[in-house]
Amino acid sequence: MLHIRDISYQVQDRLLLQQVNAAIRPGALTALMGSNGAGKSTLLRIISGELKPTGGSISWNGRALAHWNIKELAKTRAVLRQHYNVQMPFSAFDIVAMGRYPHFRHKLTDQCRMVIGKVAAYTGIEQLLDRNYLTLSGGEQQRVQLARVLAQVWDTPSDHKLILLDEPVSALDIHYQHQLLALAKGLTSASFTVVAVLHDLNLAMQYADDVLLLKKGRTIGFAAKEEALNADRIYRTFGVQAALHQPDNYPHPFITVCPVHQQYQHLNH
Amino acid sequence: MLPIPHKRWQANNTINPVLKGGTFFILLILLLAGACILSVASGAVYIGPAELFGILCHKAGIGTSVLFTEQQENVLWIIRLPRLLMALLIGGTLSVSGAAMQGMFRNPLADPGLIGISSSASTAAVLVIVLGARLFEGYQSVLGQYTLNTATFAGALLATLLIYRFSQQQGKTNVSIMLLAGIAMNALSGATTSCITLLATDQQLRSVTFWMMGSMGGATWINLAGILPFCLACIIGLPFFAKALNAFSLGESDAAYLGIRTERLKTAVMLLCAMGVGASVAVSGIIGFVGLVVPHIVRMVIGPEHRRLLAASAIGGASLLVLADLLSRTIAPPIEVPIGIITAMAGGPFFLYLLFREKKKTVLL
Repeated sequence: MLHIRDISYQVQDRLLLQQVNAAIRPGALTALMGSNGAGKSTLLRIISGELKPTGGSISWNGRALAHWNIKELAKTRAVLRQHYNVQMPFSAFDIVAMGRYPHFRHKLTDQCRMVIGKVAAYTGIEQLLDRNYLTLSGGEQQRVQLARVLAQVWDTPSDHKLILLDEPVSALDIHYQHQLLALAKGLTSASFTVVAVLHDLNLAMQYADDVLLLKKGRTIGFAAKEEALNADRIYRTFGVQAALHQPDNYPHPFITVCPVHQQYQHLNH
Repeated sequence: MLPIPHKRWQANNTINPVLKGGTFFILLILLLAGACILSVASGAVYIGPAELFGILCHKAGIGTSVLFTEQQENVLWIIRLPRLLMALLIGGTLSVSGAAMQGMFRNPLADPGLIGISSSASTAAVLVIVLGARLFEGYQSVLGQYTLNTATFAGALLATLLIYRFSQQQGKTNVSIMLLAGIAMNALSGATTSCITLLATDQQLRSVTFWMMGSMGGATWINLAGILPFCLACIIGLPFFAKALNAFSLGESDAAYLGIRTERLKTAVMLLCAMGVGASVAVSGIIGFVGLVVPHIVRMVIGPEHRRLLAASAIGGASLLVLADLLSRTIAPPIEVPIGIITAMAGGPFFLYLLFREKKKTVLL
């Protein structure tokens, strides 16, 4: 269970997060949403332990994050970012094996090799393992990185696996966006807790369970996705008029956003 | 449950392997042995492998039937052996620290010579020689050698810190800043050194010039003993950080997510590299490009995984420097061409080739 309690974060005079509270459900995919500069990524970095909040606390599995040792935490929490700037020609296998670094000292153990085989199968990168990471396409690279992130926590006891995704699909084309989020969603059925920063309302509606809406560092809402993503809250979060449409035999509504006309009209005369 | 076929991944995982890892290591060791025997044999006095064996056994107090002259014994013991060992030690140190530094900067172009670390160390050395001469009564004693080592270490460490601080930008290395800051460091050290040489006596000037060009000519058992602990710390210490350096190539925060104490890693790598580079500069001057060329070739053959990379770079660098030293003293006898000139002749074009490749691949500058 991941508890976010009264989190505030301040850089010099700027308050990036104010009193954010949320009890993230275990085994659910929670989307962090909000416009640019709302503090989503900052919140994610605080949850990951990379940043220390200036107020409030995070607790993971009943223990305050500040009391986790960096090595123990690495076995239970993994982070996937939007883009990696790898310069050295590692093989995809080498990259995935890095996910096992918290679990062995000098040489890969048999258990590690088994886990790598399983995550490669799950993410569909088995045939890429021998390839040079630098020669893979963006979508393939991101799947290799996802495999690495999964390898890090794969054999941790269930309910103790936290995956943080920071805009994981922003640099991917539509096919890979859905592929990656479907993989992330699939993890929740194996009791992974997933927290993802997402931009696309429809992707969130399709794949998330809960949604936390942020605006200028404040919580606009935290609820199950159908409740959180209504027209009113979307307007308050993003400043756009949205309409929700519920097609027949479709599990959830999809969201269209009306064009923002106002500014253009001002420019016309 | 997730759909997972029960299958184990067991293939050999070198990347585009030109050679399998093990074969490459055997070849490297053969190269090293060949280079050593050749280097001992060549020169004004010929010392064949048999005589080499005989003299070594004689020194160890074991009698053999191999015949050798006293001249051969003296040449080997006083001139060639310390020089060979020094070339081995310095070649290994420079290559390993080059490879580790490239890992820390997350970029294959970081080389102690290029980014001004060697030249800062040499400035420190010149300072000690010229200004400190009265204090230490010459550096040709183990204690004097340690003083010189400490000075070059401080110079190297200062330069490393500066360049690292300058080139890091939001957790990434800004390569252009790294290389440009290197130019500035090189210019600054060069100017300082020239300035100090104005104060030098003729005798000092000779040693200073030697520092600027790089040479193994000054090798003695004394200065070999002086650099041994520093170089060994570097060669043996850095491979302990191999795993952390691999993770570091993902990015600094990602390495931390993997449970690696990144601040400790950076401090250790900077200290060990500065120690190694400083010690090398203290006895042999600036020998450029070894730390760039050797790790690069090794990476092309067995990939960038640091555990293998650092070990192979050590052996490869040692062989390369032994051969370069051999070339430097046999190419135009009796004149000795400074070894720094030879490595620069080979390394300069290689660096241009690397730049050319990087330019095609990514936006570098």
